[in-house]
Amino acid sequence: MTGSHSAAIEVSDLQVSYGSQRVLHGVNLSVAPGEFIAILGSSGCGKTTLLRTIAGFQKASGGAIRLFGRDVVNTPPEKRGIAMMFQSYALWPHMTVLGNVGYGLRLRGVPRDEIRSRVASVLKMLNLSGLEERKVTNLSGGQRQRVALGRALAIEPEILLLDEPLSNLDAKVRIQVRSEIKALQKQLGFTAIQVTHDREEAMTMADRIVVMEAGRIAQVGSPEEVFDHPNSPFVASFMGAENTIALDVRPSGAGVEVRAAGGSATTWTGTAPVGGVTAYFRDDVASLDDPNARIEGSIVLPGTITQRTYPGGHYRYVVAIDDRHFTVTDSAYHELDRPVRLRLPLASLHLFPTEMIKGGNHA
Amino acid sequence: MARPSFFGLLLIAPALTMIGALFLYPLGYSLAAAFTEPGGSLSLMHFQKAYELYSTDILFTLFIVIVSTILVALFSVAIAGILTLGETPWLVGALRQLYRWPLFIPFIVAAQCMRTFLAKNGLMNNALVALGVMEPIQATSFLDWRGIIITFVWKQVPFVTLMLAGAMASIDPATIEAGRNLGASRLRVLIELVLPQVAQTLLVGLVLSFVTMLSVLSVPMMVAGSQPTMLTVDMAFRINSYGDYATANALGVISYMIAGTVAWIYLRHNVKREAQA
Repeated sequence: MTGSHSAAIEVSDLQVSYGSQRVLHGVNLSVAPGEFIAILGSSGCGKTTLLRTIAGFQKASGGAIRLFGRDVVNTPPEKRGIAMMFQSYALWPHMTVLGNVGYGLRLRGVPRDEIRSRVASVLKMLNLSGLEERKVTNLSGGQRQRVALGRALAIEPEILLLDEPLSNLDAKVRIQVRSEIKALQKQLGFTAIQVTHDREEAMTMADRIVVMEAGRIAQVGSPEEVFDHPNSPFVASFMGAENTIALDVRPSGAGVEVRAAGGSATTWTGTAPVGGVTAYFRDDVASLDDPNARIEGSIVLPGTITQRTYPGGHYRYVVAIDDRHFTVTDSAYHELDRPVRLRLPLASLHLFPTEMIKGGNHA
Repeated sequence: MARPSFFGLLLIAPALTMIGALFLYPLGYSLAAAFTEPGGSLSLMHFQKAYELYSTDILFTLFIVIVSTILVALFSVAIAGILTLGETPWLVGALRQLYRWPLFIPFIVAAQCMRTFLAKNGLMNNALVALGVMEPIQATSFLDWRGIIITFVWKQVPFVTLMLAGAMASIDPATIEAGRNLGASRLRVLIELVLPQVAQTLLVGLVLSFVTMLSVLSVPMMVAGSQPTMLTVDMAFRINSYGDYATANALGVISYMIAGTVAWIYLRHNVKREAQA
């Protein structure tokens, strides 16, 4: 995406091992100045290890990490000049808010008066004005989180790493702080990498999303790219396309003919891999139709509604087709045990050759 | 809940009796004896005598125990710091294995070892001479106040380190990483971020060490000569040689007061912390 000399962070062929167990298998990533990157993945995929290696808390066993062109792979964390925000906030309980936020400035030899005024402006930015003398142990979760952000931002870093910074907050505060961090990043222009396992958080905050799987990068792209065009079954299901169905695709005229077990064949002009294919789709892609409907470009399968829940705004149904179950979101109310047709628009399905999934090599 | 229970009292009665008979009664008796004239009336004559004979030893005791406590603090902070912040695995591993050994060696054995180690022709001087670090003529005996301090520090550092390293291991490691991330060296992290979080434990360890060192008889008796010496030796001497329990009791009260002062500092610090929290 960007040239190596202009990248704020450039990770090339980075390998990390815990003892004999390899955790990162040659990760390559380039982050442009001012960019907000979210690293998304399930537990144990190596996302936090990648972040901690960039920060210098974890030793790399191979590869390079360059910050604005400077190789830091053997530099201790205190000399890397990266700010980091920790999942546990890691505030120092024996210090006040002023002591915590001003510590980085104190280390840089900034005079006491200037520390005070700079901390005051940071606190103002974070809506914490007047809390300078408060002990951090006497703050609420949201306030502690902001103090931790203020401590990282007070040194005016060019790079900020965030390790699941919002996971300890309750849902309402989380959404608020999410937009605050994003706004501050735009305003101050620092480069940010955030590790998260929350898809929505990654989608709403990041310019680009990095999906990691088992110590490798599975896909990098804008939220739209990763969400709408996952490049592997893993990314598809991680981005919420958790329903799967086996399809058979055959060339037919200008397009393809798609057939599902138990359904009629549909011709489609889009591109699809030919042969045995597994389709991944999200529950909001499918819809429920009248049993006799027949729509071009969609697979239609007869089934029965076995479960209905109302999470708010729409209904979520479980539809049984033979012995398989699919979750479907639909705005209309349907009775249980009623025969329906499950409609799957081919253009919205993520199609992968079944061979690829069986082989297991989908990174 | 609040109703006094006869069975409850019965349950703790054996323990209460033991404390009363074996601790409170002798303590009260020796306190009373320290303040009583042979005739039976109250007086400070035993303290006057203790002061006349042993004022140098009182100061000597204070000096030994205070210097030892300071050295114990320095060494245990250094060792616990290396154990917590060290990045050289073999060094941390070796230190972790070694530092606890003196805990299992009694004071009297430690004192005996120090006699052969620190003497004029002892192991330490012989080793230094053999290494060419110094000439045989320069060899001096360390079997004086220095020997006592070395033995005390050697014996008490593992105890305080054990407590301190445990406390350091239980603080959130991210608070250490946050400091380094902002640019603090490991030494600054230790002094400014880790130590304040474990100060309470360090204080407890040092208070306990202080009181222990104040009450050890074998080390000053075996390691150092007779003049000046520590109050424990003087007390034993008053009793064994003269049967002079009164003066020994007065010296005992002075020891209590020294230990009590330290306990008071500790309690005051505790109360202040609780008020802040």
